[in-house]
Amino acid sequence: MSVVNYGTREITCKIVYYGPGRSGKTTNLQHVYSQLPEERKGKMVSLATETDRTLFFDFLPLDLGTISGFATRFQLYTVPGQVYYAATRKLVLQGVDGVVFVADSQSRQLAENIESLQDLHANLADEGLDPRTLPLVMQYNKRDLPPVEISSIEELDEMLNFRDVPYFSATAINGGGVFETLRSIASLVLSRLSAPAVKES
Amino acid sequence: MAKEPKKKGDSEQEEEGGEFDEFMADISQEIAKRVESLDTKPKAPVERKKTPAVPDAGLIVEWPNIADRMIEEMR
Repeated sequence: MSVVNYGTREITCKIVYYGPGRSGKTTNLQHVYSQLPEERKGKMVSLATETDRTLFFDFLPLDLGTISGFATRFQLYTVPGQVYYAATRKLVLQGVDGVVFVADSQSRQLAENIESLQDLHANLADEGLDPRTLPLVMQYNKRDLPPVEISSIEELDEMLNFRDVPYFSATAINGGGVFETLRSIASLVLSRLSAPAVKES
Repeated sequence: MAKEPKKKGDSEQEEEGGEFDEFMADISQEIAKRVESLDTKPKAPVERKKTPAVPDAGLIVEWPNIADRMIEEMR
């Protein structure tokens, strides 16, 4: 849960990139990382298998420096999309403040997108988070593929965007739409920032 | 909520750091506004130490008067 901590003058928010395997979640983080100025480049932690699929998760700490007197950090995570890493996805979702759902625009991946979205809702509910109110942004990735291979934005939105949340078309492989998506989810998360509860004496 | 689809082609790849700078500018504004709005909320009362009404035993608090008396008695 993100909190404005007036004691330590810190703001920390956790954003998770969710979606089916090979939809482009890690690619999103890699592009963000590539755009960071040298002085802000921390370590991007990425654990992958020998076939380059995300085994555990990616973690990119985004230290934004001091803003309005507060040390501000965004922690970006991805989950492994493969169905059999369910336990890891649950773990990564703990304490999440906002989710970017990265959908694969390929028509043949529609069922995987829906399955992953259902998995997200189930895992959020298990964590005691309300999937209907948690900040969420949809990203329809791989828009650079031939039109015959991909669903239209309207089709994808109709099938996946039940909550009518902001959505973005993206070609994460070359950075298209990556920062627009991040800006949108960051904005939604920040709008829900709360001060810590004050203890009454 | 308003939908805002965005598209961007290969040729629009910005120079390194440019996208991040724009992101920072936007986010800084958001955070400044948010922090300001939260900062105006009533704060928890700060407990202050009160000066004891009765001085500790043996502590001379009216020193000038006592000095005057001592000088008077010594005369």
